[in-house]
Amino acid sequence: MKAWLVSSVKPDEFAEKDPKSGVLFEALVGREHIREVAREFRTQGWFLESISIVDFAECFEIVYHFNKWGVARRACVKTLALKAEGEAASAPSISDVFRAANWHEREAYDMFGLVFEGHPNLKRLLLPETSKIHPLRKSFKGEPKGSDVEDSLRLIQEDTEGFEVRYPSQLTKSQKDYYLNLGPQHPSTHGVLRVLLHLDGERVLDGEPVLGYSHRNQEKMFEIQNYLACWPQFGRLDYVGAMAFNFGYAHLIEKAMGIEATPRAQAIRVLATELNRISSHLLWMGTFLLDLGAFTPFFYCFDDREKIIDILEMATGERLTYDYFRFGGLDHDIPEEMLPAVKAFVPEFKKRLKDYHKLVTKNPIFISRTRGLGVLTKDQALNYGVSGPCLRASGVRQDLRRDEPYSIYPTLDFDVPTMTDGDVWSRYTIRMREMEESLKIVSQLVEKIPAGDVTLGKLPKNVPKGEYYSAVESARGAFGIYLVSDGTLNPYRMKLRTPSFCNLSAFSEMIPGCLLSDVIAILGSIDIVLPEIDR
Amino acid sequence: MTGNPVLDELLKIVLWGTLVILFVSVNALFLVWAERKISARIQLRQGPLHVGFQGTLQTVADAIKLISKELTLPKSSAKSLYMLAPVLVFAPSIAAFLVLPFSPEMPMRDLNIGFLLIFSLTNVTFIGVFLAGWASNSKYALLGSMRAIAQNISYEIPLLLSTMGVVLCAGTLQMSGIVRAQEHGWFLFNGQVIAFVVFIVSALAEANRAPFDIPEAESELVAGFHTEYSGMRFALFFLGEYTAVFISSAVAVTLFLGGWSGPLLPPPVWFLLKTYLIVFVVMWIRWTFPRLRSDQLMALAWKVLIPFALLNILLTALFIQLQRSLA
Repeated sequence: MKAWLVSSVKPDEFAEKDPKSGVLFEALVGREHIREVAREFRTQGWFLESISIVDFAECFEIVYHFNKWGVARRACVKTLALKAEGEAASAPSISDVFRAANWHEREAYDMFGLVFEGHPNLKRLLLPETSKIHPLRKSFKGEPKGSDVEDSLRLIQEDTEGFEVRYPSQLTKSQKDYYLNLGPQHPSTHGVLRVLLHLDGERVLDGEPVLGYSHRNQEKMFEIQNYLACWPQFGRLDYVGAMAFNFGYAHLIEKAMGIEATPRAQAIRVLATELNRISSHLLWMGTFLLDLGAFTPFFYCFDDREKIIDILEMATGERLTYDYFRFGGLDHDIPEEMLPAVKAFVPEFKKRLKDYHKLVTKNPIFISRTRGLGVLTKDQALNYGVSGPCLRASGVRQDLRRDEPYSIYPTLDFDVPTMTDGDVWSRYTIRMREMEESLKIVSQLVEKIPAGDVTLGKLPKNVPKGEYYSAVESARGAFGIYLVSDGTLNPYRMKLRTPSFCNLSAFSEMIPGCLLSDVIAILGSIDIVLPEIDR
Repeated sequence: MTGNPVLDELLKIVLWGTLVILFVSVNALFLVWAERKISARIQLRQGPLHVGFQGTLQTVADAIKLISKELTLPKSSAKSLYMLAPVLVFAPSIAAFLVLPFSPEMPMRDLNIGFLLIFSLTNVTFIGVFLAGWASNSKYALLGSMRAIAQNISYEIPLLLSTMGVVLCAGTLQMSGIVRAQEHGWFLFNGQVIAFVVFIVSALAEANRAPFDIPEAESELVAGFHTEYSGMRFALFFLGEYTAVFISSAVAVTLFLGGWSGPLLPPPVWFLLKTYLIVFVVMWIRWTFPRLRSDQLMALAWKVLIPFALLNILLTALFIQLQRSLA
């Protein structure tokens, strides 16, 4: 790939990078070449991890991160979109090459007003369609009483945001199909997601998720805060698996500063993250089965989750939106009573897992509801940049804890379960087995947490100038952060590549032809967390 | 009694009506409480504890809350039909008590077609369900009532077919007659096992109970056909559902478990005990299984239950004919 890039595209700039930085090489190509480059990446089996835009004085820099699962090989390709007076900056769209680009480009259009030529459906993604602002531009300073607030209020009153109600009298007699707004207030959308479904009776013709109901524009908030003040926001992105997001940010900044956390802090971080992964999967399992109409497993899952939350509360003082990690270590050490509690939890939970298998896994109704449903093939999954359990269920053996090892994961013994069917059943089985693997990690770690300090002491408040990309495996998939630092106290640009965002973009691919009940089951099986998608 | 037959009859109707309504309300309160307690036990919980002993008064408190709630009326609904629907769901369930044989003396009317009357009456409730969905003019409600109609039509067939074996054995459609025919052994143990299983499964579906609660399916359709209902109108649907469960179980007891018969205890007590046992099983099933999908539900009715019910009729008929020719 490298050789091809250098010889046939002749990039304006090309730089090999230290593999430790997370990116193998970086290339700046002309915008006329970007589609050609994307096509070549696609044929060689790479997939698009994220598209980030950075706003510089004269131009927008569009940064494409391509990756190849296996031992992580990440490539960074950049192109420039010049700002011209009086017209919108533009770039060619690659959404027909990589489906994943569809939402990334819409987000870029939404946040920067950057027009992607050839995009099939270039409209706003996170902000309301009537919005007039492009908030991530450096020139945008916020308008608390500006046009958007007024517009939103008007929208709420007029109720015209695609919610039009069709009454029978207005329907023509031959019209069999209709639209159903599943959400934003609905028991099974796991937050405030709206799925605009096109139905024929109960049969789904197609559907499209509509995002943005819990959008807070955290990326803008990062830019106006210093690095330390960004911490609490990470726990609020994926509130169910907040530890992994803590981990992602700590990992990024430590990599940028060239420091490493103390051994004790590393061990506690992994312990907490894996416990949190189990509790996240438990919450998923409970709510997923609730979507299928089984009430009882929900309470069993929450009972177990409660125990984990109690344990993590001992360490962090928080029960949900953890804000525990710090650069180079942890906020504070764990209390004495935590490790015995973990030790007691491990055998208890092993027994419980057997109960779950008895109660759910072997239930014939459950099997018939999930087998062969919502199939996502390997190729589709990669095309959409799906990651985490959803990708592993489609037959790609990928786990950043293995492929792009960070912290002390290389020294631990655990498996990466994979299945090949890519259906709802596989996603369920993968998560069940992941809980076992996480439990394995926990039981290994709890015996050998090294003594020592958990902080590195005083650190500089700024991050050295440069660009950094780091990714960790959260409960839902690969969580990547792309940071552009100008050496000051605030990040210049921090783009979050969140796992559910990409996973949900593949949702439209899975639902055509199934029934309304299946839509709920498939949506549940993806395991989405809305604040992390909307950011 | 006054001696005047017309007045007597009138008095009897009023008395019986009051009794039935009282019983239905208390029964629903009790069943809701029982369901909460049973589901809590299944789900590692305690259930209601604070209002009354073991939370027994919790459902009373909830009933008061429901009565005092505002009755909302969606702007675009067909208003008269919208208000009629809950009544249509609830009233037939009360009427069905007319022929339930609590004891040899206790059916209000021991009609010789009592059996058919119960099934016709319980079917009227589905018109109410359909109206509720249609008149609400909401997509979720409409989908729910669509599912309800499909489900009702499919499950009515195995339900009635499964009872045919019993009718053949008993040789009567009179409820008390069917019970008397079981004096020498319950039909459940006299070769009607298949019929019993088919009946219970179909009755679950007829009463919209999980795993067949697809017309409500709160995780898919919010609340299905009664999405738009509030307050007492919603409570009527709720009452109707629990009464339907009670009636289905009572019919199952009459047809298969020997009705009121039993040693020592008085007949009505036996009847209620057996009925609540079945109700317990119904709740147990609800809190253990995930929900079926609508097409799987149809497949179960048409591909499994109906063939088995037909087979049961064939076997029963053959057996009776054999018995007669031998005798």
